[in-house]
Amino acid sequence: MTRLLHSTSVRLALGYALLFILSSALIGGFLWWRTTGYLERAIDDVIVADTRAIGDRLRDFGLAGAVEIVNLRVRRVGDDRAIYLLTDPRRNPVTGNLAAWPPDIGDRPGWYHASLVRDGTRRLTRILYVQLPNNFRLLVGRDVEDREALRQLVFNALGWAAAAAIALAVLGGLLVRRAALARIEEINRTASEIVKGDLARRLPTRRGPGDEFDELAIIINGMLDQIQQLVEGLQTTSHAIAHDLRTPLAELRGRLESLLLRRPQSETAFEEVQEAVADVDRVIEIFNALLRLAEIDSGLRRSGFSRVDLPTLVEDAAELYRPIVEEKGASLVLEAPVGLTVEGDPFLLAQAVGNLLDNAAKVAPAGCAVTLSLTRNAEGGIEIAVADRGPGIPDAEKPRVTERFFRGDASRGTAGSGLGLSLVAAVARLHGGTLVLEDNEPGLKARLILPTV
Amino acid sequence: MKILLVEDNERVAEFVAKGLKESGHVLDHAGNGRDGLFLASSERYDAIILDRMLPGGIDGLGIIEALRKTGNKTPILILSALAEVDDRIRGLKAGGDDYLTKPFAFGELMARLDALVRRSQRVDAETTLSVGDLRMDLLARQVTRAGKAIDLQPREFKLLEYLMRHAEQAVTRTMLLENVWDYHFDPQTNVIDAHISKLRQKIDAPFDRPLLHTIRGVGYKLAATQA
Repeated sequence: MTRLLHSTSVRLALGYALLFILSSALIGGFLWWRTTGYLERAIDDVIVADTRAIGDRLRDFGLAGAVEIVNLRVRRVGDDRAIYLLTDPRRNPVTGNLAAWPPDIGDRPGWYHASLVRDGTRRLTRILYVQLPNNFRLLVGRDVEDREALRQLVFNALGWAAAAAIALAVLGGLLVRRAALARIEEINRTASEIVKGDLARRLPTRRGPGDEFDELAIIINGMLDQIQQLVEGLQTTSHAIAHDLRTPLAELRGRLESLLLRRPQSETAFEEVQEAVADVDRVIEIFNALLRLAEIDSGLRRSGFSRVDLPTLVEDAAELYRPIVEEKGASLVLEAPVGLTVEGDPFLLAQAVGNLLDNAAKVAPAGCAVTLSLTRNAEGGIEIAVADRGPGIPDAEKPRVTERFFRGDASRGTAGSGLGLSLVAAVARLHGGTLVLEDNEPGLKARLILPTV
Repeated sequence: MKILLVEDNERVAEFVAKGLKESGHVLDHAGNGRDGLFLASSERYDAIILDRMLPGGIDGLGIIEALRKTGNKTPILILSALAEVDDRIRGLKAGGDDYLTKPFAFGELMARLDALVRRSQRVDAETTLSVGDLRMDLLARQVTRAGKAIDLQPREFKLLEYLMRHAEQAVTRTMLLENVWDYHFDPQTNVIDAHISKLRQKIDAPFDRPLLHTIRGVGYKLAATQA
């Protein structure tokens, strides 16, 4: 039972039923007060007025005056609905339309309900018993059999209404519970399937404007997308680590082992150790790049977004990379208008632009220009493009170059972790944008497209 | 210099201690946070090398915060295996002066430590810097060598200023990238080398004696005499 009460849907249904019954009771009470209650009050008022008039008469004109008005009343009313009885202190009738003191009336003055047998029938009568001066006693009453019938009628009607209300409340509560429960159970079912490992499952949502459950489902689905992306990112990262850190580690191991076997002279050994340290640095570099990629792909960095002034960012990048481009005999051309900003991570965007320039610098032939441009494109997005006149990337390799550790045939023998473009693509994804690689005829044009909204 | 090393990994501590002693420094070592904080607040050090994650109830950031609260301004170099940008920012915000990610080269550690100590001793009112016959006027933003004016681009000026402020010290490429360019990632190729060689063309090439030296495995050093 306690467990049942902990269920939100049961509490919801119970609450609904209680509220329904409570409001029905309020309406019923009001009805009662306005009908039966009203009649009762009206009759009591008449009796009180009558009593007061007879008492006044007794005070002003003595017993004779009182008898006169009672007789007058009995005659005038003419029917048997009004009851009057004036008695002496010993309760012997003086006048009135009752033959004797009714047994239902007690010793104390006040309001009574008495059952009087008159004209052969037993009728319910409302009676006010007052004591007059000189210990005369007065009973004034009204037949309330009709009112009682009405009261019974109203009572029955309200009773039926109450029964109906309770039935409706329970039914409504059950319906409310079922509606709530159906959606929640759907969510529960899908969630447990996801827990079992089916990460691709999503909660169903209705088309069009949905209710709060749809909003909940949409939020949970968004969360699931994020989780799936994280898990897949984790898998790719661990695969990449397992697969690609082996190569440099194997080289390092080989170098150290041959050092052990050959036992060279100290000068050669020194150089070999220096090479080994360089190998380790390369492993660390790959490791850092992988961690950085994982960090970006997790989307957690989005919390550190700020407004980035792109012209300054590309100018700084151009300034940093210009010397290495010029060392190759090429030139770096910068096309950056003022005033373009984007919501993003300044460090990562700088690194992305840096990686693109780094790639271009590696392949730029002497005498040609590497172009770094910042433009607003037709769709309102912002585009940072680096174009070179190098060998370019064959169409067949284009989709693969942003994969981790992929190195095109042309790039073999040059330095680099093989993670440069993967990082640019990841930075683009983090900012809701894309990295597009195009033929620069000849050469490569890498376009980092960032949405502004 | 008298240096405090707070590091729980014994092999890392041994490696750092050996290097520092060979460079002629005096070293105290604490293996956990509690001892580290005790030593740091009871002795005077020229610099503290502090691991972020420590046993002993108080971690690196906790030690920094405790020291800074009591007004202790000893330069602190944070060592950490946490490489993410946010960790670095958190470390510096807590009151650390520099941040070095593990694994690191000893040359990098030494260069950063020297730079930290130099910075903490610096008098800010300097308006001119000089190394040998190379002079830099920070107000007029002019550089001369042996009385001859040298024309530098703004970034070259900043690069030379950093090298001159750390004259006679090795500075690493990463330090230059961070302090002169405000970049906090490793570029794949050594962009810094190209900038240095351009700077050399201007300040060294026309003269007999070079001032800007390459330190193998570490970086560069601006010095009047090559040691």
